Amino acid sequence: MEISRISQADVQNGAIKIAARDVCVYYAEEQALYNVSLDIQDTMVTALIGPSGCGKSTFIRCLNRMNDTIETCRVEGTIELDGVDIHGRNIDPVQLRARVGMVFQKPNPFPKSIYDNVAYGPRIHGLADTREELDGIVQLSLEKAALWEEVKDRLHAPGTGLSGGQQQRLCIARAISTRPELLLMDEPCSALDPIATSQIEELIGQLRESFSVVIVTHSMQQAARVSQKTAFFHLGSLVEVNETEAIFTNPQDERTESYITGRIG
Amino acid sequence: MILDSKHINSAFDEDLDRLLTQLMTMGGLVENAIRESSRALINLDTELAESVIKDDHRIDLIQEDIDMAAVNCIALRQPQARDLRMIIAVMRISNALERCADHAKNTAKRTSAIVEAPPLTETIASLGRFSKLVQALIKDSLDCFIQADESKARDVIARDHEIDQIHSGLFREYLTYMLEKPSIITSTMHLMFIAKNIERISDHATAIAEQAVYMMTGQLPEDERPKNDDAAYVASADQD
Repeated sequence: MEISRISQADVQNGAIKIAARDVCVYYAEEQALYNVSLDIQDTMVTALIGPSGCGKSTFIRCLNRMNDTIETCRVEGTIELDGVDIHGRNIDPVQLRARVGMVFQKPNPFPKSIYDNVAYGPRIHGLADTREELDGIVQLSLEKAALWEEVKDRLHAPGTGLSGGQQQRLCIARAISTRPELLLMDEPCSALDPIATSQIEELIGQLRESFSVVIVTHSMQQAARVSQKTAFFHLGSLVEVNETEAIFTNPQDERTESYITGRIG
Repeated sequence: MILDSKHINSAFDEDLDRLLTQLMTMGGLVENAIRESSRALINLDTELAESVIKDDHRIDLIQEDIDMAAVNCIALRQPQARDLRMIIAVMRISNALERCADHAKNTAKRTSAIVEAPPLTETIASLGRFSKLVQALIKDSLDCFIQADESKARDVIARDHEIDQIHSGLFREYLTYMLEKPSIITSTMHLMFIAKNIERISDHATAIAEQAVYMMTGQLPEDERPKNDDAAYVASADQD
């Protein structure tokens, strides 16, 4: 698959948020990703699908340098956010993660109040000068995460006391409180019931209006429901990326076909 | 073949297998209805014509079963890609087959009317030959689907051209007979409608072959067929 180098015009038009080129990832001697080149478009949901161990989570973790925390992990190739290399000398990974937020598979609220969970990021990044401003950010983030109505009367209750679906929405509120430009979601619904899943999916559709979302999912139906672009990974390589409709009705690569029709696992 | 590799979930394979078996059973019944309606016409056999009319109900029931099984399969298995296209194609093909059976039934109904006032024997014989060509077309269209044979499907689509030409020829032939012998106008009019029935079956064979191409490639073939059925324009052309 040929992906041309990102042009400055595309970056300026805001068409491409992240451009990954020839990304290879190694855990010690073992190679986990092989020359992945993928564009993440702005204000669009991109779904990454593929069997377990195919490298989709490894790839998503490269996008905000989460792999830096793993000592034996080595990343090669370039990843540009708005045309700037995220591995560049002047890039502070903490600042990067404020711009590129992440939501994990299991809801992981801090052992703090609902309010403090959401206020944590804005506090450490100095996004609010006054208490009122901070209150405003917390409320807006909880509203965007479709949780405000359910928790507005108990903002100082512990976040861990919420239900699983509410905790996950709290984590989304926490991730968007720093006003990221890109939100990475690693199987955000795998621990949730169908109703909470629908709420999160509805939320993803709304979040997309403000920023781009990359979601790793094992549910093909979820990828089909929420994304506009789908990328299929297999054995550490990006096999095929296309409009979601095309991937699910007429994939071009036999491996994609076999995977989405349930012929390889 | 159409089911070339197995799913991890073998129950899904069984569902698809059952769906295709139902479609092929329906195809067999429809081929039979077309053949028998043609035989009833040639032999002016009202009893055979009646049995074609009666058996049509069975074909309708099978089509309902196929629809239900396909809907269940979509709801329960969430098919994707080629599996999805196959199920959609099966639904469309069973619909086309049901229409073919209706045309056979209509032919049988007209046969009962023709027996009252038989037309010239040579006019019926040419219809028999026409029907044979179309029967082969329906058989090939179902074969190309079940064998997932794209070149055969494209061949079926191309052959519709010839059927259209023959239909136009028959139309002119019948007009001549009616002009020569007004006493056979009623029965020959029935033959004209039967010819149209047979020509429509050929259109359905084309539609089935197009669904086979869709199932295999994800795209319907472009409509490259020249339209050769000019029967509708014969009268006005003759008046000019």
